[in-house]
Amino acid sequence: MAMAALRREGRRFVVSLASSAPITARSSISSEEPCLFGVRSISTQIVRNRMKSVKNIQKITKAMKMVAASKLRGVQTKTEKSRGLWQPFVALLGDNLNVDVKKNVVITVTSDKGLCGGINSTSVKVSKALTKIYSGPEKETKYVILGEKGKAQLVRDSKNSIELTVTEWQKNPLNYTQVAVLADDILKNVEFDALRIVFNKFHSVVSFPPTVSTILSPEVVEKESEAGGRLGDLDLYEIEGGETKSEVLQNLAEFQFSCVLFNAVLENGCSELGARMSAMDSSSKNAGEMLDRLTLTYNRTRQASITTELIEIISGASALEG
Amino acid sequence: MASTAAVPFWRAAGMTYITYSNICASLVRGCLKEPYKSDAASREKVHFAVSKWANGKPEKPTIRTDSPDQ
Repeated sequence: MAMAALRREGRRFVVSLASSAPITARSSISSEEPCLFGVRSISTQIVRNRMKSVKNIQKITKAMKMVAASKLRGVQTKTEKSRGLWQPFVALLGDNLNVDVKKNVVITVTSDKGLCGGINSTSVKVSKALTKIYSGPEKETKYVILGEKGKAQLVRDSKNSIELTVTEWQKNPLNYTQVAVLADDILKNVEFDALRIVFNKFHSVVSFPPTVSTILSPEVVEKESEAGGRLGDLDLYEIEGGETKSEVLQNLAEFQFSCVLFNAVLENGCSELGARMSAMDSSSKNAGEMLDRLTLTYNRTRQASITTELIEIISGASALEG
Repeated sequence: MASTAAVPFWRAAGMTYITYSNICASLVRGCLKEPYKSDAASREKVHFAVSKWANGKPEKPTIRTDSPDQ
């Protein structure tokens, strides 16, 4: 009993000398510790619980990384094949980023699920920057948002410019039919002169920069083709059938929109999986480091308690003898 | 000739080119034999929820499921 009191006194003395930094670092762990005076030894039970939970988190994040990696392989082949859909359009009509139009509609492609790193924030940032670039007198920019994450971010400050939001579209594996129905909905509900699709283009697992694809409405394309330039060469093509040029342009514009949206959605899906892979990878690494630190603390605590027990026994024994 | 003449029948009916090509595609898929038919049917699934916004407020979302033709 006296020994215990002496022990506590000794510790209190030692603790007051030591700097407060290690105490505050441990105070978060020892906050449940019933002893007062910033006692240095923490219960091993608490550390053990923490270690168990960190280990579980590490397992989960590793599993998520594997799942994302396996899904990525499938979507990547689909994406590479879909690139061939819109390349002829760009060859024919050009990618007109600089065309000045009155009504812009920015289509932001984001994901529904989280834990995918920063890709959704970069897409939203680019969309907001686009709105700023295209703002001016008589001009207006509206948003069409695909995905929960984009909606959550854009609702905060651009509520009034949102035209449509689409969620739950990633439930089934991506196919052209779904994107076509979606594109049809957008075409029917939104008036536009130019559509700007913002998505993350998939270059590799670690690189997915945000890109913008532009699609002009058929009227604007006609105006531009009269103005000359790339689109002016359209008149060099012969049109079969009984259709007029404006009809062909209209069909082409709709089909172009659908193809580009399909590619954008696939590329964004790939980028999301790649970002999720790297995010989960770094989080399992962090969890591993945390586990190492906790193991060290645990061992230190265990050894300290064993040493104090030994000291008690030995001093008790020597007190008996002497 | 006026540009409104000779509008194709599907555009007069209010469909866009995309809808038209979708319908044609599902017709082609319907011509396949089993087992390719069920494989193709799995590529036709549609599911999403779209909601229009008015004055900064979302309206009730309309859910479109498994309707490849529309």
